[in-house]
Amino acid sequence: MATTTATITLSSSDLLSDELALSTTATLTTAGTSTGITQASGLSRKTLTYGSSGVIDTSVIYRADDYTADKANKVYIKNTSSTAAEFFTIFLTGDRATDVHGNADPGLTEIGRLYAGDWMFMPWCATSGTKETFTVTIANTWAAGDTFVFDGVTVVAADSTVNNIAAQIDAAQYPNWVTSVSGAVVTFVARYSNAGIEIDTTEAVSTTAGDGTGAVATTVEGTRSVSDIYIKPSVHTGMTYETMLIHE
Amino acid sequence: MATTASITLASDLLTDAISVSDSTTCMKAGSASDDLDQMELGCVEIATGTNFDLLNADNALNKDKANKVYVCNDSTDETYYVVITIDAIVLGRLYAGDWMFIPWGAEDATADIEIQAYTGTNKISYAWFHEGKTLISA
Repeated sequence: MATTTATITLSSSDLLSDELALSTTATLTTAGTSTGITQASGLSRKTLTYGSSGVIDTSVIYRADDYTADKANKVYIKNTSSTAAEFFTIFLTGDRATDVHGNADPGLTEIGRLYAGDWMFMPWCATSGTKETFTVTIANTWAAGDTFVFDGVTVVAADSTVNNIAAQIDAAQYPNWVTSVSGAVVTFVARYSNAGIEIDTTEAVSTTAGDGTGAVATTVEGTRSVSDIYIKPSVHTGMTYETMLIHE
Repeated sequence: MATTASITLASDLLTDAISVSDSTTCMKAGSASDDLDQMELGCVEIATGTNFDLLNADNALNKDKANKVYVCNDSTDETYYVVITIDAIVLGRLYAGDWMFIPWGAEDATADIEIQAYTGTNKISYAWFHEGKTLISA
């Protein structure tokens, strides 16, 4: 069994009248057990650079959709800058849909600022949102050579059997969707939670010589994730962070 | 008045060893020489059933500063955990023995650090390093 430990030492010889010396070691285990946690992203390093200060934006470090919710996940992030005034602001997706609190970043909830050299280590619930889901029903008369186009992928019907065409559509790989098939109905599920997607036949386009159709029906409305982790640099000229995710 | 926060992450879960060590001196926002010189230190027992404010956001003095918050779950039963929330958004779960060390923006009066215990009464220790606190008149 893997053993992963995280040790923190907080020390000060002069903050209090007596010395502050606090040290804790956590052996990282899976949620509610004594079994060692077994997955990690590895340590990564990235520099964020923007064209000017006016276009600095947030970027996502970890997407909740990629991990299991409500586990004993831990995230480490470090600001490698040595310029005291440079900081990263760390956010979670939040409830700030509007700027009602005077928040400069509506839509996000700020955790805090990591100034030069600072690091953080926090638990992460990885609560995702709901993935948009829709179906495409292949019906009526299709012919070999008819096409279905979606998400940049074109499927050319090999024959005229609707179940076979649905199977072909399912077998294709889509950048932003995963699929399953039942008879002549293909179900598309978004890879990531998103409240801003609505697919219809202008995006999922069936082109047939006869009266073949590929009716689109939304079956699950998507919602945004509520705990993606975002990072935003304070300057546009290039700031570097390091991070690691330890997860279940 | 330097306070140093150091972390060591060590693991054998990869084919090669993970060994990450880092240390930072806790400074006031944007300063290379002015240390965070105020702190609160506490230890509390958190009963189940209610989400409590562990730290109230004193944003008048701490908004967008370099606050640091340490929370450790000192419980020993591995099934015990607390859920940490900021501004109604769940950060994550601290199981028995786990700790966290985060910056805290305290961006408005609702950005409290909240805590709720599960499974049983959890014993929590915490420290808040900050730039000031508005004291309540007697």
